[in-house]
Amino acid sequence: MPTKRRATLAAGLITIAAASSLHAAAQGERVTIKGEVIDTWCYFSGVMGSADAVVGSAHHTCALWCSAGGIPVGLLAEDGTVYMVLKIDGDDTSNGGDTQLQIASHTITADGMLYQRDGINYIVVSQVVADDDIINATHDDYGVIPGFAIPKSAKE
Amino acid sequence: MLMKHLIAILALLAAPAAAQDFSEGSEAKTWNLYAEVPARFVATVVDPLCELTGDCPENCGGGKRQLALLRMADDVMVLPLKNNQPAFTGAANELLAFCAQDVEVDGLMIDDPDIGAMNVYLVQKIRAAGTGEWTTASKWTTDWAAANPKAAGKGPWFRRDPRILAEIAREGYLGLGVEVDKPFIEEWLE
Repeated sequence: MPTKRRATLAAGLITIAAASSLHAAAQGERVTIKGEVIDTWCYFSGVMGSADAVVGSAHHTCALWCSAGGIPVGLLAEDGTVYMVLKIDGDDTSNGGDTQLQIASHTITADGMLYQRDGINYIVVSQVVADDDIINATHDDYGVIPGFAIPKSAKE
Repeated sequence: MLMKHLIAILALLAAPAAAQDFSEGSEAKTWNLYAEVPARFVATVVDPLCELTGDCPENCGGGKRQLALLRMADDVMVLPLKNNQPAFTGAANELLAFCAQDVEVDGLMIDDPDIGAMNVYLVQKIRAAGTGEWTTASKWTTDWAAANPKAAGKGPWFRRDPRILAEIAREGYLGLGVEVDKPFIEEWLE
């Protein structure tokens, strides 16, 4: 292949690679989101029933299990959008960290950066500006989900 | 890195415009989930916080962070939510040993756009790309036992985990306080 053509091909490939790199580094957007800190596996998979049943107080114990177990934590906004939490209040321990565990099922207002890629919303929370604790009293309608979340020994 | 981008973009250009079917060759076992789709594919294990923000510690964060799968065929970043254990356990521990490496995975995509489930995944098996030995993605509870030797005993890990027990002691099973728990539990376990 002539040198000039090789150089043109190389330049083209570099341009494509640069475009690919730009795609990979998603553009962030500053957002403030109010929502509930949820267990994304039970919510998305339906493994324990409808999405309404796997939020709030009914699902709190399971949300603790899943958060401690390293399942990604999400922020379920009031409009139904789920944001995957990658960092919260400076803590990047998204694989089972203490910060996210301590606010399982809480409704919070989070200030941070939103990144969207391949249909998934990711949020890097710079600050939890309000923590309303657990306000979604779903146990009134669903009891506890799963039913074995409270062991029989709890009655003793 | 440049070569990986080139391979990914060339693969993308060669792929059909429609969403691809990754179920061919999958040996994933059903979990009887409404929106599960078997999927076997080759990907690079990446740190999603690094990919999105440029905050890139060594070794994908060394186990602190969630990990993702950058699928080679279409450059889609798949987020695994779950490993293969029916025990409330995630997938990051299973992927960490393969940080920045190419792997082949087999498992279940969860595809339910009505609730926003897209490109999320349950990993059942994993192996370094091009090798023959599959590893079942079930090491989480072994990792937990090693990290929590004082919590040894009978019953599943989530009944013995010190952090979970502390949270329940503080806020109750419903998270609304032990005073709310008490009458509820009396009725629930009747």
